[in-house]
Amino acid sequence: MIAPEFFYSALIIMIGAFFSVLRILLGPTVPDRVVGVDTLNTLIVAGMVLLGAAYDRVIYIDIAIVYALLSYIGTLVIAKYLQGGLK
Amino acid sequence: MENDMGLIVKTMARATIPLIGIFGAYVVSHGHLTPGGGFQGGATIAGAGILFLVAFGLNEAKKRYDKNLYSALEGLGGLAFLGAAMLGLSVAFFYNILWRDKIAFAGQPGTLLSAGFLPIMNLAVGLKVFTGLVSAMMAIALFRRWKK
Repeated sequence: MIAPEFFYSALIIMIGAFFSVLRILLGPTVPDRVVGVDTLNTLIVAGMVLLGAAYDRVIYIDIAIVYALLSYIGTLVIAKYLQGGLK
Repeated sequence: MENDMGLIVKTMARATIPLIGIFGAYVVSHGHLTPGGGFQGGATIAGAGILFLVAFGLNEAKKRYDKNLYSALEGLGGLAFLGAAMLGLSVAFFYNILWRDKIAFAGQPGTLLSAGFLPIMNLAVGLKVFTGLVSAMMAIALFRRWKK
């Protein structure tokens, strides 16, 4: 059973993700882009959970959990590089 | 210890590394039931290794990392995959004799102990991918820093 209201909420998440992509494209400095990517990661996790609910598949939530755990590491690696890397 | 990150990141890494490891082990061991499998779970566990290196710094990671052990485990993963593939060699290569002849891992389809040699192969691939990725990451991180 596909529930349409979850698709509408995923569409709203997608509009927010569009603005964050805009910040990544236009961001004048590198930290702007990093914050944009971090926001986009969180929005994508929310979108994955909503789409998992929309398609009524419990196993899709696993992918959202893995993405939430690994996107955090990606942001951390970029932050470490920007503060001087592995000296 | 000058190349580790701040107190918040280290404390959060202490909480997150076991979580990522356990979730990666879940993805590997349920490879025949849920999305994921050997490679995805192994890469997830290797993400825990990357988090350890980033949060605690290179010196701490170098103390915990044993090149010979990881190299041996990677070879062991490949050999376990090949050994599981050759179990049914009396009929054909990759013949799933554990499932067809109900020897082991032959439970009701959909349960954890089903699907014959697939859980063994997932565990082997997960071990190989985890050790291989961690070894590659440590080799890149230690590049031209061996003397220090």
